[in-house]
Amino acid sequence: MREVTYLEAIREAMSQEMRKDDNVFIMGEDIGIYGGAFGLTNGMIEEFGPERVRNTPISEAAISGCAVGAAMTGMRPILEIQFSDFIMIAMDNIVNQAAKTRYMYGGKAQVPIVIRLPGGSGAGFAAQHSQSLEAWMTHVPGLKVVQPSNAYDAKGLMKAAIKDNNPVLFYEHKLLYNTKGEVPEEDYEIPLGQADIKKEGSDITIVATAIMVNKALEAAVELEKEGISVEVIDPRTLVPLDTATILESVKKTSRVLVVYEAVKRSGYGAEIVSMIAESDVFDYLDAPIRRLGGLATPIPYNPVLEKAAVPQVDDIVQECKKLMNK
Amino acid sequence: MSISIKETSHSPEQLKTMLYDMMVIRSFEETVEKLFQQGRIHGTMHLCIGQEATAVGACVPLTNEDKITSTHRGHGHSLAKGTKVKGMMAELLGKETGYCKGKGGSMHIADLDVGNLGANGIVAAGLPLATGAALTSKMKNLGYVVVSFFGDGATNEGAFHEAINLASVWDLPVVFFCENNLYGMSGSIKEMTNIANIADRGAAYGIPSETIDGNNVLEVAEATERAVARAREGKGPTLIEAHTYRWRGHSRSDARKYRTRVEEKEWRQMRDPIASFKEQLVAENILMEEEYEALDKKVQAEMDEAVKFAENSKEPSLDTLMNDIFA
Amino acid sequence: MASEVVMPKLGATMEEGTIVSWLVQVGELVEDGDPIAEIQTDKIVMEIEAETTGVLLKTLYDAGTAVKVHEVVAYLGDEGESAEGLGDDLSKSTKAFGEKLEQTVNETTAINEVSVWACDKIRRTPAARKLAEESQLNLYDIAGSGPLGRIQKIDVENYLQQQDTKRITPLAKKIADDQGIDYKQIEGTGSHGKIRKEDLVSTPVTNEKVMVLADKRMPFKGMRKVIADRISASAYTAPHVTLLSEIDMTNCVALRQDLLPIIEKVEGLRISFNEILIKATAFALKQNPNINISLEGQEIVYHSHVNIGMAVAVPDGLVVPVLRNVDQKGLAAITSEAKGIGKQARDGKLSPDDMQGSTFTISNLGMYAIDGFTPIINSPNAAILGIGRIQKKTVVVNDELAIRSMMNLSLSFDHRIIDGAPAAAFLTDLKDVLENPFKLMI
Repeated sequence: MREVTYLEAIREAMSQEMRKDDNVFIMGEDIGIYGGAFGLTNGMIEEFGPERVRNTPISEAAISGCAVGAAMTGMRPILEIQFSDFIMIAMDNIVNQAAKTRYMYGGKAQVPIVIRLPGGSGAGFAAQHSQSLEAWMTHVPGLKVVQPSNAYDAKGLMKAAIKDNNPVLFYEHKLLYNTKGEVPEEDYEIPLGQADIKKEGSDITIVATAIMVNKALEAAVELEKEGISVEVIDPRTLVPLDTATILESVKKTSRVLVVYEAVKRSGYGAEIVSMIAESDVFDYLDAPIRRLGGLATPIPYNPVLEKAAVPQVDDIVQECKKLMNK
Repeated sequence: MSISIKETSHSPEQLKTMLYDMMVIRSFEETVEKLFQQGRIHGTMHLCIGQEATAVGACVPLTNEDKITSTHRGHGHSLAKGTKVKGMMAELLGKETGYCKGKGGSMHIADLDVGNLGANGIVAAGLPLATGAALTSKMKNLGYVVVSFFGDGATNEGAFHEAINLASVWDLPVVFFCENNLYGMSGSIKEMTNIANIADRGAAYGIPSETIDGNNVLEVAEATERAVARAREGKGPTLIEAHTYRWRGHSRSDARKYRTRVEEKEWRQMRDPIASFKEQLVAENILMEEEYEALDKKVQAEMDEAVKFAENSKEPSLDTLMNDIFA
Repeated sequence: MASEVVMPKLGATMEEGTIVSWLVQVGELVEDGDPIAEIQTDKIVMEIEAETTGVLLKTLYDAGTAVKVHEVVAYLGDEGESAEGLGDDLSKSTKAFGEKLEQTVNETTAINEVSVWACDKIRRTPAARKLAEESQLNLYDIAGSGPLGRIQKIDVENYLQQQDTKRITPLAKKIADDQGIDYKQIEGTGSHGKIRKEDLVSTPVTNEKVMVLADKRMPFKGMRKVIADRISASAYTAPHVTLLSEIDMTNCVALRQDLLPIIEKVEGLRISFNEILIKATAFALKQNPNINISLEGQEIVYHSHVNIGMAVAVPDGLVVPVLRNVDQKGLAAITSEAKGIGKQARDGKLSPDDMQGSTFTISNLGMYAIDGFTPIINSPNAAILGIGRIQKKTVVVNDELAIRSMMNLSLSFDHRIIDGAPAAAFLTDLKDVLENPFKLMI
């Protein structure tokens, strides 16, 4: 099958949906001729024109609200926030408006927007351009949160996000943009709320999100050499969360490691851990549930420090060995 | 530039409707105020008594397809846009027959069917939403206009500036309608801004603006008509600053220490938007005293019926608690 | 609406109780007042009674678990009522009760005991606990290989495998256990290799094989720990002196023979020497009030009444129920009470109050082949009487050899508050009344 990058897969999903549905359009800062900060929207303004590829002022507070207002009145906007860190300036429109509109209005409105959020560290962009704040969004009722870890998932999840009638926060990892994967050209959707078992195993369940899925898969290869069989699960969407797939795996392996790049403290992994501990699968646990997450520090600029701030493949290997008393 | 009835192009029937609409708003506010004092409505509410002319006047040129975004002080806007008394009353009483099924309350009344995109609990949040609704109109060539109501306090929020700039650069069909009632909660506009007129801020974003008497319903209607016409022609947004005054405190817990009783009295006695308009209509023989009394009775009957409807409505069932979080 | 069943507080110092067994299964109906569970506190076994009629919806602890007083242990409710979520907020209520406890209990020793208990908890994973439960194994029997000795599922599995690898008949298993034969080494000749009795007989017991057997390890806790603490406290703080005296019990033997049918007629019980000794001791204590004393803090208490503690052996230890105001009671009443309380003790049915307030203790080993011993004082008593067996011996009476029923008494006393002479005087008076039991009639 043809291989495309994660970035191209997202672009393809958006373009395909825009061709099918006039109500779908994209808006954001520098997404026109410039092609977006990461080049993701390259070529789109040429195909769809400036009306549907709307280059906005640097006004997150306005453009996020504009997207909500457009969605309430029948459009399906896709808003690019240039770096997920800038969501802070758009927060009122996401948390107080988009997330609550339907509920506050007694179900009489819907807000079908997708907010694309390039996140994560590893690119040397330092503290204000490298965060992973997805857990904040998962806390707010009314928002869906998606975190694809590869090109195939990115395309399928983006299509589902666009078709969803709710505000969907679509977290993209900057370091994954240029990773390639097999992606069919045709239309396909991955339903929101469906986890994926990226690798089967019997000793430990690793639940990893975003780029940590890839790191966990690398670690799994190392661990296999030492006779430790790891199952890697990618929830793909944090809200809604596919609890059944995770619990089924834990039941099988009895050991859990949750890995995420965000600061470990109060990160989404804590929610996954709680969910497991509160479930009936508790009785199958044969070791304390462990988490690997980022250190509680702003992301530093220096590349060595930057790497040390978030979990790496070897951390995962070591943690798994500990879980197996090895 | 006060406008008199002689100069207006509105028909006597339209004028009487404006008066009636203002009377409905005032009566609604007085009714819910009483219900609140009796403990039959809980939470809080922000009353717009004294500001009836801005709401009614600004909605005069609007069709059912046109839209508004409103504020926490939004009962008047909703009623002026065509949202019905019964459903609003039921919402304030938290009943399942309310516009939001009892889940929104005073600050979130919305009625999308008549173009009321909703009140908003966040100051200045309606402006960006209005740009979005206007963008839809523009992209889909729907021809409707959005009037975004906000107060003087909102003009110091970033969203005000960002939204007007966005609407300006994209020529969006929005009317930014500022009800300058002189106080953002307790903060006097004189203390909170250093400019003479809020309308001056329009120049910063390259859009036309004007300051009008917000307690003269005809002046409001005609200024908005001009702005709406511009917007419909694709010429982009306008900023209107309408001077008005809220007779009551900010919310239900306001001792109004930040302003004088003399000032309040002056606005209530000299610049009551309803009394002055009624006097003009009577003076011009458009309205008879008996007609006015009949209107008053009709309004009262409408309120009584709405209260009865709301009180007889069911509380939302507990099963609905988790409904409508997602579409 | 489910109602809570809590661990009752059965004495001022009771901090927690161990659930011995659940007497009712989940789903069964209980009436108000029915026993729900047996619990063991310091030294006794009691029952938790239902305070309402209802169905046992849920139990929160397994038998063998120690639970703090006032903590919820189960829920009663209506038939068909859901047990879901019950007890989920348990930690919250525990904390609340914990706060109350600190206000009401000021004995620091009691609090110390709690921490000892907490340390006794077995570290085990949920999966290990579940498998052990399903396999009806006691986790105390299993060694953990995880961090800090945590028992993991693999440990339980290994344990099970060890057990399961050898199929053995119950009889053969008993013989093997009794004789210390490591049957795991034996090839069985029964079906599927099951070991039979015959297989054992042909196997010589070698020292090596005996040594393979694992020692049984029991946690040092509960009643055992309480006894140990109390005995140690007494032995290490009260300087003990023990006086010995040989008593001619011939007259008492005759007295007992005479009283047997009389008391049996009144009480339906057969009087033992024990009761006569209790009565005689009370008599002697009345004559020697400086022996019937306790050291309580900074005060020596001279007791106005004679309450005799009676050491009773029970299956896993020793309890000392108290007979009250013995000096005012006749032998029939004493017989009835002593036998009653002894039975209650052996059945584990004593209440904490039954064991409070002794002023003097008797430890009787006369039913064994024991001639005499040095008992340890039951603090805060000042003295304890040890009783040996009665044996016919040739002794010199009036310069002639005679066969008499002889018995040794030993009196241990706390030399801090009782001197040798008064102790000797008491034992002499006791000897006198036992040898001349008619004096009891005075």
